[in-house]
Amino acid sequence: MAGALSLAWGVTAHRPALLRQVLRSFSVTAVRNQETGAAVAAASIDSRKSPLILDEKFPDSNSIVVPREAWIETLDTSAASTQVGLIHLHPQVFGANPRLDLIHENVTWQKKFRMVNYAHTKVRSEVRGGGKKPWPQKGLGRARHGSIRSPLWRGGGVTHGPRAYTTHFYMLPFSKRLQGLTATLSAKFAQDDLKIVESLDMPSDEAGYLEQLCENRRWGISVLFVDDSDIMPRNITLASDTLRHMNLMPVYGLNVHSMLKHETLVLTVAAVRRIEERILYHFRRPDLPKENMKRFRM
Amino acid sequence: MASQGTEKALALLRRLPRVSLGNLKPNPGAVKSARRGRGIYGGKTHGAGSKGSGQRQNFMRLGFETGNTPFYLRFPYQNYYKGHHMRLSYAPLCMGKLQRMIDTSRLRTDVPVDITQLSATQLFSINPMEKMGGIMLKDEGIDHFQATLNLEVQWATEAVITSVERNGGTITVAYYDPISLQAALNPMAFFKRGVAIPRRMLPPQNLIDYYSDPKNRGYLADPTEVARERFVLAQKYGYELPDIRSSPNQEMLLERKDPRQIFYGLQPGWVVNLEDKVILKPTDPELLEHYAS
Repeated sequence: MAGALSLAWGVTAHRPALLRQVLRSFSVTAVRNQETGAAVAAASIDSRKSPLILDEKFPDSNSIVVPREAWIETLDTSAASTQVGLIHLHPQVFGANPRLDLIHENVTWQKKFRMVNYAHTKVRSEVRGGGKKPWPQKGLGRARHGSIRSPLWRGGGVTHGPRAYTTHFYMLPFSKRLQGLTATLSAKFAQDDLKIVESLDMPSDEAGYLEQLCENRRWGISVLFVDDSDIMPRNITLASDTLRHMNLMPVYGLNVHSMLKHETLVLTVAAVRRIEERILYHFRRPDLPKENMKRFRM
Repeated sequence: MASQGTEKALALLRRLPRVSLGNLKPNPGAVKSARRGRGIYGGKTHGAGSKGSGQRQNFMRLGFETGNTPFYLRFPYQNYYKGHHMRLSYAPLCMGKLQRMIDTSRLRTDVPVDITQLSATQLFSINPMEKMGGIMLKDEGIDHFQATLNLEVQWATEAVITSVERNGGTITVAYYDPISLQAALNPMAFFKRGVAIPRRMLPPQNLIDYYSDPKNRGYLADPTEVARERFVLAQKYGYELPDIRSSPNQEMLLERKDPRQIFYGLQPGWVVNLEDKVILKPTDPELLEHYAS
């Protein structure tokens, strides 16, 4: 499994023919499997004539950079092969510079912007009492004091203490949020923690099935499944309902914190294309990220 | 994208532990603590010295030389600055760059190109409050210019006019007062204000000659005079003037704004309601008379 993916990683533009050959042999086994009479659900997936090869060329991206290649897997364990195809990923989204500092900034922002500190202390005027001068200014040989609630006194007010409600809201610049997403996706992909499946359809709705699947594929304890739509397939919804470490998320909810919180990120093909489309749209729009436009200004 | 550095970073990341919430930290030196330095790191005055303008930050006015006759008063009056507070500056746009904007699909050629279209490319910083008058066409890269356009800019030279007309296009120079210019630069921001589109003011005294001259293709010039000057310029530079009337884009090329009009298709006095997507037009005869050209 890991070996197969590392093969996908190592493949560059001049060797797609070899990969195609490998994939064709997969398709042959798939057909054979169907002939021997596998599960009905498996048959529906394996019934396609050839493997799913989504080798988009991305003519808009830099011609020097080849698209990233990844396997397309299936969540159906009864299928003849785990891998059912190959997909090209846009290098600007899945092969961007993994800026760990930007990832950190995003995570910090996600934590802080909704944080409200309720800690509260009273200043000297708010503490009860302390209106009368405790003793005369002069003549007693004692230190001069004007109030028993002075910060110097025990039981007095607090100087520079926390005051409720302190909000920590701020907005991270748009470009940083955008780059945070590409950096996280790229880091996840580089570390083999990003898997692509053709869909979230599963033959079973048992939690054990999903757990076993993730264990067999070494996806780790926590897995985040992301689909294009927010209406998820019935089986995976039921299976992941009791597993608090396996979560489903629509593309519009994708964020840096959740991607890092889970060990493995599983995207459907539709989700991949949607993410690419949204991120590239924002990368290219001339109006919003003003920094992007600076070098073109006259 | 994906420079060598990126590739190296991604290859390095492959052999490193999984990036997760637990092992992230900012770049070294990126986070500064907001503490006030004590002792030798700040001391009593934090470098501001004691007493006087250094401490209080009430610095001397610009050009003041503490008792000397200031430099700006020491020499006689510079005549070329006469009336500088009235003059307008223009954002330059070279013809070569204009062609490149068309080649890279930043600019449409099937609609008249005016200040609104040019400003929508986000490539210009024009501030009417800083006495900028709009866009001026420069003749750099003029040999590369091949587009057929209906151009409306605020300043153009004879060479520029020649190159536009030789390609079968038309050009007008038009004045926008600061308020109209602000509206034309960012129409959406203007419509959001919910006010009526103003009348475009006529040029000030010192510019009225420029904008009335058919040689400059001024928007206040007589169209028949302009047609004649087009022919004269073609004779002067020895090129055959393409016939606009036989062009498929004839309608677009001959579209002109009224001297009081700011946006194509919208008249002064109208209110554009973006919320309800309706245009409100005045009916009061007094208003109609006010906004009439």
